[in-house]
Amino acid sequence: MAEVVFPRLSENEPDAEGVLATWFVSDGDQVASGQLLGEVMVEKVSGEVLAPAAGQVHLLVGEDQTTRQGEVIARID
Amino acid sequence: MSATETTTAAEGAPAGQSGRKLTTARAMAEGIAQEMERDAGVVVLGEDIGNYGGIFGSTTGLLEKFGRDRVLDTPISETAFIGLGIGAAVEGMRPVVELMFVDFFGVAMDQIYNHMAKIHFESGGNVRVPMVLMTATGGGYSDAEQHSQCLWGTFAHLPGMKVVVPSNPADAKGLMISAIRDDNPVVYMFHKGIMGLPWMAKNPRSVAPVPEEPYETPIGKAAVARAGSDATVVTLSLSVHHALDVAEKMAAEHGVDLEVIDLRSLVPLDSDTILSSVARTGRLLVVDEDYQSFGLSGEIAARVAETDPGLLRAPLRRVAVPDVPIPYARSLERAVLPTPERIEAAVRDLCKA
Repeated sequence: MAEVVFPRLSENEPDAEGVLATWFVSDGDQVASGQLLGEVMVEKVSGEVLAPAAGQVHLLVGEDQTTRQGEVIARID
Repeated sequence: MSATETTTAAEGAPAGQSGRKLTTARAMAEGIAQEMERDAGVVVLGEDIGNYGGIFGSTTGLLEKFGRDRVLDTPISETAFIGLGIGAAVEGMRPVVELMFVDFFGVAMDQIYNHMAKIHFESGGNVRVPMVLMTATGGGYSDAEQHSQCLWGTFAHLPGMKVVVPSNPADAKGLMISAIRDDNPVVYMFHKGIMGLPWMAKNPRSVAPVPEEPYETPIGKAAVARAGSDATVVTLSLSVHHALDVAEKMAAEHGVDLEVIDLRSLVPLDSDTILSSVARTGRLLVVDEDYQSFGLSGEIAARVAETDPGLLRAPLRRVAVPDVPIPYARSLERAVLPTPERIEAAVRDLCKA
């Protein structure tokens, strides 16, 4: 089981909040390691969420939901 | 397939999609990347297309993958770098040049319409200009009169260049690959509102399944985005999204069954698809975010009239931007754009007779 974490885009503010802007996969999809899962945004800077492992993904946050850097936003098993 | 399903999947795309979704921006970048892998002659240049990945995300990841020899951040001179692209194309390369906002074409128009578009003809067909000029169009986010125009009517009017306008991620990738492979100059015009950018208003149809392998979407062929029988809505780009939303609402609430045609290309223009639809429905609405007069909507009306004016059971309607500079104030901007409200009002007017 692998955790997918909200990427740290702001190094100055480790606790900065952002949003999960877009999911490119649906809950329950099979994903490959390294696959682009979604896009996040922290203060106008966008970043990518890549799958750390292969398996079935379970999405834990919704689109446009406010989230903190470092939070677990999905699980892959 | 039922009449209410959208059929915007790329024609010619292999069956059995993975279901993997991309934004339109990423689909464009993937199309460019796959062509750059296939053909060493493909290079990309423009303002902020390298380090930044394009201000609308059209070239994300290309610099990291292909390096500074093939992905060039240019100085702020459209004449210079569009001219550079023309020179490279004439010498046998396949440049993809980004004009950051279509509104900036003015300072470089000579390069575009007198050189890029005409060298092939001036050389008696001996010289080819296999170049893609891609550019961002459209408004709706208070960027005002010099950063919100569409202008595809202007480019379509001038001979010597193909013009393509995708409305969705799958077509964006397929049209980009077709444009790069085409030996003619192709102006590729993408609306900022369909790019799926996180910092713009979220638009659900901007994120959709895109086949992973390379594929071509045919240039010059429209798509029937929604089959219907009561009236034909001919449109393109972001307006396809609005037309489909209006079609769903009209079907559910009023029992009106609209056919929505996504043009996808302006040059060549798919007259056959338009005419065969109008022949069946007898009612035509053109929705165009470009200026109303002397443009796309008038051209479509002319093609119907010169084929058979008897095809129409009611006068045609068009929803376009009136002939004014696009306002900055949100209320005024919404009054000129082809919003769902304006489209619905036009459909009701068209179908009441």
